[in-house]
Amino acid sequence: MRNNRISSVTLLKATILSLWLTMKNLFRRPVTVQYPATRRPIPERWRGGTFALTTDKETGEENCIGCKLCERICPSNVITVEMEKHSGRGWAKSFILDLQACIQCELCVQVCPTDAIVMVYGMETPVTRREDLILNKEKLMANEKLYPAAWARGLKLQQLHEPERGTEEKRGVVGK
Amino acid sequence: MSFLEGFVQGIVLLGSVLGVVAYLTWFERKFSGRLQSRIGPYWVGRPHGWLQPIADGLKLLAKEDLTPLKGDGLLFNLAPVWVVVISFLGFAFLPFTSNWVLVNIDLGLLYFSAFGSLIVVGVFVAGWSSNNKYALISALRTAAQMVAYEIPLVLSLLVPAVLVGSLDFKDIVEAQREGWFVFFPFVGQVSILVFLLSALAEGNRIPFDLPEAESELVAGFSVEYSGMKFAYFYLGEYVHLLAVSLLTSILFLGGPDGPLFQGGIWVAIKTLAVFVGILWIRWSFLRLRIDQMMLLNWKFLTPLGLLNLLIAGLWASLNYT
Amino acid sequence: MEERVVEREFGELALNMGPQHPSTHGVFRLQLHLRGETIVKVVPHIGYLHRGVEKLSETLDYDMLPPVYERDDYLSPTSNSLAFVLAVERLAEIEVPRRASYLRIVVAELQRIASHLVWLGTFGLDLGGALGGGATLFLYCFRERERILDLMESLTGTRFHTNMNQIGGVRYDVYPEFDKEVIETLNYIENRVREYREALDANPVFLERTKGIGIVPPWLAREVGASGPVLRGSGIQYDLRKNKPYLSYPEFEFEVPVGKEGDVYDRYSVRVEEMVESARIVRQAIEGLPEGPIHSRKPLKSATLLKPPKKDVYVAVESPRGELGMYVVSDGSSKPYRVKVRSPSFSNIALIPHILPGHLVADAVAILGSLDPVFGDVDR
Repeated sequence: MRNNRISSVTLLKATILSLWLTMKNLFRRPVTVQYPATRRPIPERWRGGTFALTTDKETGEENCIGCKLCERICPSNVITVEMEKHSGRGWAKSFILDLQACIQCELCVQVCPTDAIVMVYGMETPVTRREDLILNKEKLMANEKLYPAAWARGLKLQQLHEPERGTEEKRGVVGK
Repeated sequence: MSFLEGFVQGIVLLGSVLGVVAYLTWFERKFSGRLQSRIGPYWVGRPHGWLQPIADGLKLLAKEDLTPLKGDGLLFNLAPVWVVVISFLGFAFLPFTSNWVLVNIDLGLLYFSAFGSLIVVGVFVAGWSSNNKYALISALRTAAQMVAYEIPLVLSLLVPAVLVGSLDFKDIVEAQREGWFVFFPFVGQVSILVFLLSALAEGNRIPFDLPEAESELVAGFSVEYSGMKFAYFYLGEYVHLLAVSLLTSILFLGGPDGPLFQGGIWVAIKTLAVFVGILWIRWSFLRLRIDQMMLLNWKFLTPLGLLNLLIAGLWASLNYT
Repeated sequence: MEERVVEREFGELALNMGPQHPSTHGVFRLQLHLRGETIVKVVPHIGYLHRGVEKLSETLDYDMLPPVYERDDYLSPTSNSLAFVLAVERLAEIEVPRRASYLRIVVAELQRIASHLVWLGTFGLDLGGALGGGATLFLYCFRERERILDLMESLTGTRFHTNMNQIGGVRYDVYPEFDKEVIETLNYIENRVREYREALDANPVFLERTKGIGIVPPWLAREVGASGPVLRGSGIQYDLRKNKPYLSYPEFEFEVPVGKEGDVYDRYSVRVEEMVESARIVRQAIEGLPEGPIHSRKPLKSATLLKPPKKDVYVAVESPRGELGMYVVSDGSSKPYRVKVRSPSFSNIALIPHILPGHLVADAVAILGSLDPVFGDVDR
């Protein structure tokens, strides 16, 4: 209630300014994207979809060696791996990923030594039953065929984080 | 006019006002959407959401209708009906063209303002009977606001009446053939300003939407209402807004008078223009506080309205003697 | 626990504002005692969003925690993980490469702008749609913020919980067009913010609703431990980026805006000016982005590798809301023995019982909005 002396000139100016601001926006293009009809482009590094277990391109063998590193690092404990050993390497006997509590931090992908677990591009991954969110090994293997794999891979990230990494590598150089 | 004729005309009027109001809500949503870089209604009746008002009506009809157990059930259910009926009654006296009006009486202006001021009863009762603290505060605010703003509203409505020397809408429209009152030096502009401001306050629109102040009182007096009863309040608000726009076009903008041709189409165009102006103001301003609002009324609008009425009276008495 | 009887004088109306209320900015309950519409007494109740993240961190390894802490203050996620990461780095004496430090600053300052944009928009809502019935300014601000989120998405893959900060460095490096996109976005946002500021500052109704309302005197701000824009709005020049520099902040030129009166308007103007200053910092960081590695540790291969010595540290960063401190105690194992978060929102909302009485209900909403609390941050 202090200085409630509003001169009519400032009031008029403010009115015109406010109306002008909204008027300008009236003729700007709406930014709304009508989702199912039009889609915004997904950036290359997008994460947030579901997961997949990869297989070797040449031999068709699954990459996962059941080392349980992803199980260990998951902050919300959604991964459970059982390991078995035969034919000279480790295998994942079972691999269960519970998407209900996943926080999409991608740490599991980052630690994977064999690029076995990856996230996939896929916006339309909701399901109608809770059980469908618990991904077992079969579903994870099937996801590899269903969706394209995302940008991040364990080895790629690990190489990116190598402290002795040379500067002339193919990575974005900014400011020069 | 026989009873039957009047009845049919009344039904037609009611139906057309309802239809117009339904599409005014659609228009507001579309307009405000574009103002805010959104699209607004889109899917129902693609691509412009033409069927949105109908879908909304059906949705509200199908919704569960709740009455608070500890509230006053009878009053709670009566209040929305009251608001809607009173809002519609105002239309009976408004002329849509130069020669068609449902109830043709000499005191149209007086009746209109009398009915307009009865809305506050419904809103207050709604807030009171909800037995909700937010609704109660809102009801008290509404009562203070609507009763206070009634004064400048009537003062500004009286200016055209004084200038013409009649309370009959037809006379006022007739008199504006020589010049619209909005172009009447000083008096006309001041009274249209005062009228629009107080009418916005009466209709609970931003910048005066204190009774429904969403960020403070959640939804104000209508916080306990759901379904069709809520829709009645919504309807009442828009009917009131339409009435205000229509009244502005009749009292100040010359009504059916206009270049090229005359008649109801000009009333419609002017009403729409005023309505767009009100919407634009609504989506461009912020809410006043209750004390500032009262200050604006008692220290600014009421004295200005009185002064304006005095000048209009002086002019009229000098000219008509 | 039995329900306490509300003690109130005759003629007072006890009004529960929240926990479900459109403008308490989260789940927060204000027990207002009203006489007419004037507030005579306020009892705030918090704890509706307690998630036990401090206790949770005792069971997780250091490397698992940054993404968890990002869920804390959900309007500026990186500043949480930044504080934690800096604390652990000081515990384990890990140096961060300059490039990583610059990238952390870029992300943190961009998120500061985004957070302040959200604040400006919701503040408009609190005032009953400054510049617009209900939501016009709100939607404008969110439209602008969307540009920053898009930028974050192309840099880190997610729009919000970026998981950018990791102990020892950052997770993502920039991509080739990043600098151009950032500069473009900053130009756009600066223009728009200037536009809104002009319209709001010229608006006498806005000034009426904010000037002289909710005055926080400097002594009170000090007493309750307020920080950030709330403290600076009261005229105390205290910004951790200047006063206790961390990362590479000493290398950048920027001002610390302060207010004079400590009212709602001053807090508003401090925040709006901070957006401009943040944009300045981001510009400098992008232009002077050094070459080099982004991580100083060996690549993350297992969660149990990091075992800091037995020590405790307190590290604070300047989050958009104020001083966000992390007190981490290590017992030599791979898990922290104890983590205590000193969250800025918690200290800032301690002002509420002191400054609300005497104001109207409408002002209560404006004042609460001007403190900018985030309840994920308050309750943790």
